Amino acid sequence: MLIEVFGPGCAKCQTLEKHALQAVAKSGETHQVVKISDYAAMAARGVMSTPALALDGQIKVQGRVVSADEILTLIQG
Amino acid sequence: MPEIPCSTCESPAQPETGPSPGFWRKGGWLLLALPLWFLVYHYLEPFANALTTRLFGLDLNSHLGSAIAFFFFDSPKVVMLLALVVLGVTFMQTFITAEHTRDVLAKRAGAWGNLLAALFGIFTPFCSCSAIPLFIGFVRVGVPLGATFSYLVSAPMVNEVALFMLLAMFGWKIALIYAGTGVAIAFIAGWVIGKLKMEKHLEPWVMEITFNAQAVAAAEQRMSFSERLELGVQGVKDIVGKVWPYLLVGIGVGAFIHGFVPAEFMAKFMGSGHWWSVPLAVLIGVPLYSNAAGVIPIVQALLGKGAALGTTLAFMMAVIGLSLPETIILRKVLKPRLIAIFVGVVAIGIVLVGYLFNFIM
Repeated sequence: MLIEVFGPGCAKCQTLEKHALQAVAKSGETHQVVKISDYAAMAARGVMSTPALALDGQIKVQGRVVSADEILTLIQG
Repeated sequence: MPEIPCSTCESPAQPETGPSPGFWRKGGWLLLALPLWFLVYHYLEPFANALTTRLFGLDLNSHLGSAIAFFFFDSPKVVMLLALVVLGVTFMQTFITAEHTRDVLAKRAGAWGNLLAALFGIFTPFCSCSAIPLFIGFVRVGVPLGATFSYLVSAPMVNEVALFMLLAMFGWKIALIYAGTGVAIAFIAGWVIGKLKMEKHLEPWVMEITFNAQAVAAAEQRMSFSERLELGVQGVKDIVGKVWPYLLVGIGVGAFIHGFVPAEFMAKFMGSGHWWSVPLAVLIGVPLYSNAAGVIPIVQALLGKGAALGTTLAFMMAVIGLSLPETIILRKVLKPRLIAIFVGVVAIGIVLVGYLFNFIM
């Protein structure tokens, strides 16, 4: 699964990326985590509030940091 | 990637997920916490006065005594108010997302769009980190440039936390004046920019990127009451945890003014008698960058020492409404001329509001 974290580099975006990596480690599976900090790329994907998280290209979370457990549920769901 | 200054961000971080919530986790604790809050709040002033006179042995009428009592009373008071306000505001904001705002505004053209955008700006959280994706999202989905600017002016300037703090500390008149004039400035600034047809002064890439509106299947954020409340609590931890040093500095400055600056001193410089006091307050306020909550204690001290309402209001709006970091971030999407017009129109608006209230009061 492709996990994308959108954020220009503020503290919250880094936290979300960390949680995503933790969630992948917990899942015991291999997922790719990609950080997207380019504004143009973010805007093109329709992200309007950061940080945001997408799974396989679909935006799941916008404008808030979610916990590793919550991301894990999203991955497994 | 350098860290982006994000002290204007007011969305909460890191909600924790635990086992399925019981009554207490669902919000039952509020039933206990709220009465306790009011009880403690009620006894703050006698407690601060007792602390100053008994523990420090100071006279409340002395310079030092009144400054210290002000500090001991104001610090817990402002922090407690802030916590309550942030809890309520963050909870409320989970109902209003940037996507809703965009979809509502995209359908409105003309002055109504500007007015609506300015009103939305009061309640929506605004983070300078999100300013660019938000700006592009608005403009590319069909929100008029003028309405987008009304929103961009109103969102930081009419800060929802500052609004409720003013309401709690100075009453509804001052809160209403603040919100009303802020919305008016945002409305007019956006309207003027819309009329000037500034679309060609956007950086070209804004309109060139492939924007797939269909892919923008906004994640519908369905949350339960306890999840929204949880976000509110996280917001309190996040914001109070981040701004308390600024608050203490603000209250310290306020305490000094309260105790040592003679009562009519401020009237000399910030009174309504001088035409130059309002533009000067704006000039001083723009480079100062403070969290909205940090400026409130200074406002309180200034008003208490005879500063004119219009001048004080102009100062406060300049501090929180026009900030250098936000301007630098916006430069990525706006050409210099549009940036200059944006800052110029807003600054003129703030000065006019200052004059208006100095004239009326």
